[in-house]
Amino acid sequence: MKKLILITIVILPLFVAAQETWVVPETNLEKISPFVFDDDLIKDGEALYENLCISCHGTVRKNNPMVFVPSPGDPASEKFQSQTDGSMFYKINKGRGGMPGFEPTLEEEEIWSLIGYFRSLNKAYIQPEFDYGDEVLSELAMALSYDANVDKLVVKVTSNGEMKSGIKVSAAVKGLFGKYILENEETNETGIAYFNVDRKMPGDEEGNLTVQVRAQEGYSIKKTEQTMQLVEPTVKTDLIAGRHLWSKALKAPIWLIVVFNLIVSCIWGIIIYIIIGLVRLKKVS
Amino acid sequence: MGKVREEEMDLLSESRIEEDLLRNVNWSKKFKIWFGFLTVLLIVCLWFYIQQLRKGLGITGMHDIVSWGIYISNFVFFIAASLIGMLISSVMGMIGYKWIKPISRIAEIIAVAFALVAGIVIITDMGRPDRLHHLVLYGRIQSPIIWDIAVVITYLALSLLLLYIPLIPDISLCNDKLTGLPKFQQKMYKVLSLGWAGNEAQYKTIKRYFQILLIVIIPVALAIHTVTSWLFAMTLRTGWDSPIFGPYFVSGAFVAGCAAVIIAMYFIQRNYMLQDYITDMHFDRMGKLLVLVSLVYVYFNINEIIVPAYKFKPTEIKHIGNLLYGHDSVLFWLVQAGGLIIPFMLLMIPKMRKPLPSMLISVVILVAAWFKRYVIVVPTQLEPYMPIQNMPESYHSYTPTIPEIAITVGTLVMVLMVITILTKLFPVVSVWEMKEELLQENQS
Repeated sequence: MKKLILITIVILPLFVAAQETWVVPETNLEKISPFVFDDDLIKDGEALYENLCISCHGTVRKNNPMVFVPSPGDPASEKFQSQTDGSMFYKINKGRGGMPGFEPTLEEEEIWSLIGYFRSLNKAYIQPEFDYGDEVLSELAMALSYDANVDKLVVKVTSNGEMKSGIKVSAAVKGLFGKYILENEETNETGIAYFNVDRKMPGDEEGNLTVQVRAQEGYSIKKTEQTMQLVEPTVKTDLIAGRHLWSKALKAPIWLIVVFNLIVSCIWGIIIYIIIGLVRLKKVS
Repeated sequence: MGKVREEEMDLLSESRIEEDLLRNVNWSKKFKIWFGFLTVLLIVCLWFYIQQLRKGLGITGMHDIVSWGIYISNFVFFIAASLIGMLISSVMGMIGYKWIKPISRIAEIIAVAFALVAGIVIITDMGRPDRLHHLVLYGRIQSPIIWDIAVVITYLALSLLLLYIPLIPDISLCNDKLTGLPKFQQKMYKVLSLGWAGNEAQYKTIKRYFQILLIVIIPVALAIHTVTSWLFAMTLRTGWDSPIFGPYFVSGAFVAGCAAVIIAMYFIQRNYMLQDYITDMHFDRMGKLLVLVSLVYVYFNINEIIVPAYKFKPTEIKHIGNLLYGHDSVLFWLVQAGGLIIPFMLLMIPKMRKPLPSMLISVVILVAAWFKRYVIVVPTQLEPYMPIQNMPESYHSYTPTIPEIAITVGTLVMVLMVITILTKLFPVVSVWEMKEELLQENQS
């Protein structure tokens, strides 16, 4: 009985909360993204969705969210898309009932990238233009190099042509299925951010890796991608080179060829010896 | 009948032995009816095989999931039955058991017949038998299939020699004594007797060759069935992936082979009036041998089931469950209890080792041995590691079709034909060895 009460106390608020419509404060409704929903941002959003949201909201467009009350909803559904950007932003940030709030875990830009991804599922959507007001978007430029002495990736950032400290820089290595984040750094007084590089990371035969670097100052974002020699060359081994049980016939292991042929020829040697003897049986006396 | 052989021996003389043992070498009416029946049966089965050649393996019950059906079960069974030649002539002979002499030729005939047809059985399982030579051209020495081909051919050659060498003096005798036979047969005896003169040196030579063969055939016979078991055990499939599959198959082979010999002994004794040579004592001893090999086989069966069942690995649960109380349990228990445990227990009663009851029990054991191969081959394939998805409903089970069964029956008919012809062409019991024994007994 005690248990039942306890369960009711824990579960009930979920349903109570669920039964009410989710009211988003008016001031939040009109909030729009300062970030442009470009392909890069949408891709980031998709990756986040597949890590954090898919377990409840289901595969987009398939309308297969978890059976909860109320339904988490498919982000591609009409009901979902009828909300404003600000409403989505508020809901992801704050959460309710079974839906956790992501304010403590996700950066503002990451939440916008999720919304960008949701909007990419809606062809009718046009992103409203953000009013940057007095803030002037700075022109960012980056130069990448590798310092072999300290095994560090060196990113030199200029803002409007000047060195500036405190610009957020993050670097990642591009992999086959996503990226491996190196670090999140800020530039020093000379406008440089350093990233540790593990020389053991697998690159191509020349040790090349593709690095993706992103710099952000205010709402101004600059991304760049560059293939550079960062790690030790990877020596590729051919799995069917040499002699193995799984190789083709001509590449059979020597021991197998020897043992097989030795046994077969020994026994057939005896058989042939006996047959020859039998043919000569007439002469035996 | 019913008398102990030693007493019987006094009545036997050299001429009587010759007369008794050469009696079966003729083309009697009984033989013609029997052989005609077999021929008609074979032609019907061949018609089904032609259908298979024209339409492909689609006319069988096999599919993507169960790609080894009763053809492969049949192949394993044939290889198993052929192993008995080695046990009787070689192992028992070399230990020095004299009583096996009258039946060792029967065992060899069975070995030759089954090994010969086993090669044909494997071709029935091929969708494109015209590409058989690709095995030689493109076969990989790393594959157990290549080892199997090599060892089957080798075993067949050795079994033929093992049958032929002690036959040479008898063939020569047939050539001398028998008259009124077709010309081709007379000619065949003449060629096959290899100019046998019956002198001491010749006897010495063939006895030496025979000894060599007796030794060589032991490892080859063990290899033939071990390699056949490796066709299964070298895979990772549940139910086949077992390190004791080699001895498990070999011990099972002796059970099938002993049963086949007892059945053959019974019909040969009755049809060819060989009661003085194949006596109750032989049935009694073969019955005891069958009990022994059955016990060994039961031991391996217990190992095959208990060890994985105790560990209960996720992949094994379904397979063992299916065998013990699931989909295949009826067949499994019929084969294990009805076809192995109860028969060998019955054979422990002396009265059951008389010719007729022991023959009937052997028939049960032999039929069960065939189905045992089916239990080993088919259910495993129905539990692959990857679930059977997006497949037609029929792929979830396997039922052999009529053409498939007919072709399998056809191969059994071929074995019977080979055995019949061999027992009609040559004396079934070695004449010169019987004479030799008589001589030794008269001397002592």
